[in-house]
Amino acid sequence: MSASALAKRPLLSRHLLDKAAVWIVLLILLIAAGFVSEAFLKLNYLGNLVRQAAPIGITAVGVTFVMILRGVDLSVGAIVSMSAVVCALVMDGKAENLWLAIGVTCATGSLIGLANGLLIAYGRVSSFILTLGMSIVVYGLVQMGTGGTARGIVSPGFREFLNDRIGNVVPTLAICFVIAVVVGIFLQSQTRFGRNVYLVGANPHSARLAGIPAVQTTVIAYCVSGLFAGLGGIALLARTGVSGTNPGAGMEFDVLAAVILGGTTFAGGRGGVGSTFAGVLVLFIALNLANVAGLPFAAQLTIKGIIIIAASAAHAWIGRSGGDRTE
Amino acid sequence: MNRAQLVIPFFSRLPPIVWALLLTVAFGALYNPQFRTVDNAMNVLEQSATLAFLALGQAFVIAGGLIDLSVGQLVGLVTVVACMGFEAFPGWGLPVILGCLLLGAVVGAINGTLINRLRMPPLILTFGMLSVLQGCIFMLTDRSVGSSIPAIDFIAHGRITGIPASLILVVIATVIAFYCLQRSTFGWHLLAMGNSASAARKAGLNVRGLALNAYVISGLFAGIAGLVLAGRLGTGFPNAGVGLELDSIVAVVLGGTPLKGGRVNVVAILAAVLFLGTISNLLNLMQVPTFTQILIKGIIVILAILLERPRWAAAPQ
Amino acid sequence: MTFLKSMLTATMAAIAVFVLTGSGTAQELDLTKESTYDQILEWANEPLDTSQYKKDGKLKIGVSAGYLSNAWINFTAQMIKYEASLHPEIEEIKITDAGFNPTKQAADIDDLLTSGVDAILFWPVDEKAIMPALKKAHDQGVVTINIGYNFMRDPSVTSNAYVNQWGYTEQVVDQFIDSLDGKGKIIAMLPIAGSSAAVVQLAVLEQKLKDYPDMELLSAEYGDWDRAKAKQLTENLLQRFPQIDGAFSPAGQMSMGIYEAFDEAGRLDELTLSPGDDYNGWVKLVANEGKWGSVTSGLEVGRAAVQQAVDILTGAQTTTAIVVPTRYLAPEEAKELHEPDRPDDWFKTDLPAEYLPQ
Repeated sequence: MSASALAKRPLLSRHLLDKAAVWIVLLILLIAAGFVSEAFLKLNYLGNLVRQAAPIGITAVGVTFVMILRGVDLSVGAIVSMSAVVCALVMDGKAENLWLAIGVTCATGSLIGLANGLLIAYGRVSSFILTLGMSIVVYGLVQMGTGGTARGIVSPGFREFLNDRIGNVVPTLAICFVIAVVVGIFLQSQTRFGRNVYLVGANPHSARLAGIPAVQTTVIAYCVSGLFAGLGGIALLARTGVSGTNPGAGMEFDVLAAVILGGTTFAGGRGGVGSTFAGVLVLFIALNLANVAGLPFAAQLTIKGIIIIAASAAHAWIGRSGGDRTE
Repeated sequence: MNRAQLVIPFFSRLPPIVWALLLTVAFGALYNPQFRTVDNAMNVLEQSATLAFLALGQAFVIAGGLIDLSVGQLVGLVTVVACMGFEAFPGWGLPVILGCLLLGAVVGAINGTLINRLRMPPLILTFGMLSVLQGCIFMLTDRSVGSSIPAIDFIAHGRITGIPASLILVVIATVIAFYCLQRSTFGWHLLAMGNSASAARKAGLNVRGLALNAYVISGLFAGIAGLVLAGRLGTGFPNAGVGLELDSIVAVVLGGTPLKGGRVNVVAILAAVLFLGTISNLLNLMQVPTFTQILIKGIIVILAILLERPRWAAAPQ
Repeated sequence: MTFLKSMLTATMAAIAVFVLTGSGTAQELDLTKESTYDQILEWANEPLDTSQYKKDGKLKIGVSAGYLSNAWINFTAQMIKYEASLHPEIEEIKITDAGFNPTKQAADIDDLLTSGVDAILFWPVDEKAIMPALKKAHDQGVVTINIGYNFMRDPSVTSNAYVNQWGYTEQVVDQFIDSLDGKGKIIAMLPIAGSSAAVVQLAVLEQKLKDYPDMELLSAEYGDWDRAKAKQLTENLLQRFPQIDGAFSPAGQMSMGIYEAFDEAGRLDELTLSPGDDYNGWVKLVANEGKWGSVTSGLEVGRAAVQQAVDILTGAQTTTAIVVPTRYLAPEEAKELHEPDRPDDWFKTDLPAEYLPQ
C-alpha cells in the first residue's frame, strides 16, 4: 500500500504544497502588513520582530522534532523558566561564569528532556499527560529552589552582546534564532537521527519492523526538545534579564501554536524545522499587526485561536486533496 | 440476576485509583485529626464537584478516542454569562440556567461539527477553540461581573440533611454517565470508535454522529460545571476556568482511561477526582509548604500514568 | 444543521442582550473616583469593636495567598512570618497558596478554618469570588484581614491592612508631570487588564491629565507586571508612534522593560519615565541614571496585618483598617534603597538574614 502510494506523482506535489503553504501565508501576511504599516517593510523592524520571536522560536525548533514523532512536549514552558532562573543563578553577576552558566543550563534542559524521553519511550505512555506532569514538577522545583524570588544576576556583557545589532541593523539575538533554525534543519535532514524521526513519525510500526531504533530516536528527540528549550530560556534571559521565577509561563501554548502553523501536526512524519520558522514568524506578525492596529487583548486571543484552527484545517485539506491517505 | 455475580467481580477488579483514594483517606484519617472530621469530608466533596462534572464530560470524549481542550475556558464563559444573566434578568433564573446549558451544548456542537467537517485533529481544534473562547470571555468582561442566585448558591454550598447538594448532583450525573457509557448501545459504539475509528466506520457505525454527540455531552457537562462554579464563587470571574481542561484530562487518565480511548470506567474517574481533591486538602492540612505541594502533584501525575501503563499500554499501531 | 444554526443564533443573541444590559452594576466601591479614597480613609479611622474576637491563650494565624510567585508578594509573606515571630502569643502561622485560582483559594480558606486558625490574613485573586468563603469564616468567629489591592468593606471582612493605591499613584503622576514640565506625548504601561491596580492607575492618570491640555496620552497598554511583556509592547509602540516623550509606569519591573526597548531602538534620549516602585532592578537603574526616582510600595503592609490581627485577638484598641503610607523618593534618596549586590528581583527591607527568601 505505502509503496504504491509512494509511486504516485501527485504525492510529491502535495508534499511541496504542504511545505510551501506556510511560506505563502507568511508572504501574503507580510504584504498585507506592509499596507497597514510601512514599518513592516523596514529591515530594522523585521529584525526586531525576529528578535522578539527568538525565545519562542528557538524552543519551537526542538518541539518540532517531538511533534514529527506524533508526540507533544508541554514541559517546554517550565524548562524555559527553569533555564532562565538557573542560568542567572550560576552567572552570579560575574563575567567568568558565563560559559559555565550556559553549559549548566543546556545540561539541565537536556536532562529534563532525557527524563521525558526515557519515561515516554520505555513507559510507552501518553506524551501529553507525561510532559504536563513534568511541567508541574519542574515548576515546583524552581519555586522550591528559589522560594519565589529569582535571585540570579546576569554576567556583565552577556545581555549587552546579545541585544546589540550587528552593523546597527541585524540584532544578534535574531541571528542566534536563525542559527538555531539552521542547526535544526541540519539535524533533520543531514543526520540519521533526523531521517529516523520522520520514519518513526510516519509509521511507528513499520519503522520498528524495518529495524529503526524507535525507542532511541524518541529519547533523543525529547532530549533535543529539552536542549532547545534550555537555549530558549537563555534567549529569554538575554532579552529581558531576570524577571521573576516563572518567565516562561504559558509559553508552551505559543510554541505549540507556532509549530502547528508550520504544518507539523499530530499526523506524524510531516512538517519540519524550516516550516516551524515560518510558523513562528506568521504568529508574531499576526499578533504584532493586531497590536499595531490597536485591537484589544480579547480580539487578539480570538484571532490566535482562529489562526490555529484555520491553519490546521488548511494543512489537513492539502493533505487530503493530493493523496488518498487513510487514517 | 444473581447479585454476587455482579458484586464480586466488581470488587476484585477495583481500579488502582480507588485503592489509592482509600489509602489516602485511611492515611489522612489516622494521622491528621482535622482531616477525619465529617465537616472536612463534606468540604472536600463540595470542592470536588466542579471538576467531577468536567471529568465526566471529558470521559465521553476521551472514551471515543477524542479530546476536548476547550472545556476549561467554556466553564469560564458559562460562569461569566450565567452571573451576568442572573443579574440582568432578576426572577428569570431558570431560563438563564437553561440558556447556559444550551451555550455549553452549542459550543460542544461547534467543536464536533468542525472536527467532522474539517477532518482536523481534535487536539488542535479544541486548542484553537480554547483561545477563541478566552477571547469571548474577555470581550464580555475583564473583571468579575454579576452575581449568583440563591438556587445556584444552594447547589454549590447547600446541604440536604448534612449532605452537600452538589454531591447528590454529582452522584446522579455519575449514574447517568455510567449508564450511557458502560451500559448503553451509544456507549459501546463510542468505545468501539475509540478502539479503532476505521474499524468502527467499516462496521457501519455513524462515526461522525458519535463524535458530535460526545462533544455536545462534554459541552453540556462543562455548562453544568460552570453553573456550579458560579455558585461557588458567587460571581462571574473571567479566569475561573483557566487550567481546568488539563485537570479534567488528568482526572480521566488517572481513572484508568487511555487517551487513545476504547476503555472507560466512570466510577474510577470519580474516584480520581476525589483523590485529587483529597490530596490537595490533606497536604494543606498537613502544612506541607505550597511549593512542595506543587511538586508532589506533578509527581503524582507522572507516577499515575506510569503505573496505569500495564492496563492499556498497547503497542502503538 | 439548521437546528444547530438556530440554537447558535439564539445563544449569540442572548449573550448580546446580557452584554448590553448586564455589565457591572454591583460595584460596591467606585475605584475611579478620588472621593472613594477619602471615604476609605474615613472608614479606616473608625474604632473597631474587638471584644467579640478576644481570645485567651495561644494564637493560630492562617495566611491565604492568592498567589506567591512574585517578588513583592514573596517579601510580604516573609514580612508576615518575621512579624509573627516577634509575637510570643502566636504559636503557629500557616500559609496556603492558591496560584491565581479563586476556586482553590476558597478551598484553601475552608482548609484553614478546618485546621482551627483564629485569624486569616489574605490577598484575594478576586475579591468577589472568595466572599462566600470569607462569610463562612466570619460566621465561625474567625478574624479576616484583607491585604489585597482593594479596600474591602463588608461584614465578612473584619479589617484591612491597606496601601492607598490612589495616593500612591498620585505621587507617581505628580512627579511624572513635573519632570515633563506638563507637556508632551506619553504612553501608559499598566498591570493586568481589569485588575484593580490597572483601573486605579489609569483613572488617576486621566484625571490629572485633564489639567494639562499640552499632554496627550497616546496609548495605554497592559504589561501584566511582566518585564518581557512591557518590553515587547513598548517595541510595538515605538514602531507606531514616531514621537514618545514619556512613559507612565508605576511598576518598576515594567519600567525596566520600557527602558530597554527605548535603549535598543536608539531613542533613549527622548524618554522621560515616571517614578517606579522600590523594585531592586529599578532602583539600580535610578541609581545609575540619577533621575526619575521611586515611590515606596508599602511592603510594611504584611507586618501591619499581623500586628492588627494580634491587636484584634487580644482585644486591644484599634481602628477598622491600617493604612500604610507611601512616599516619593527623589533619585538621590532612592539610591539609598538599592542593593547593588542583590538580584533585580528583590526588595530592600529590614528583614533579618534568616527571614530573607532563602
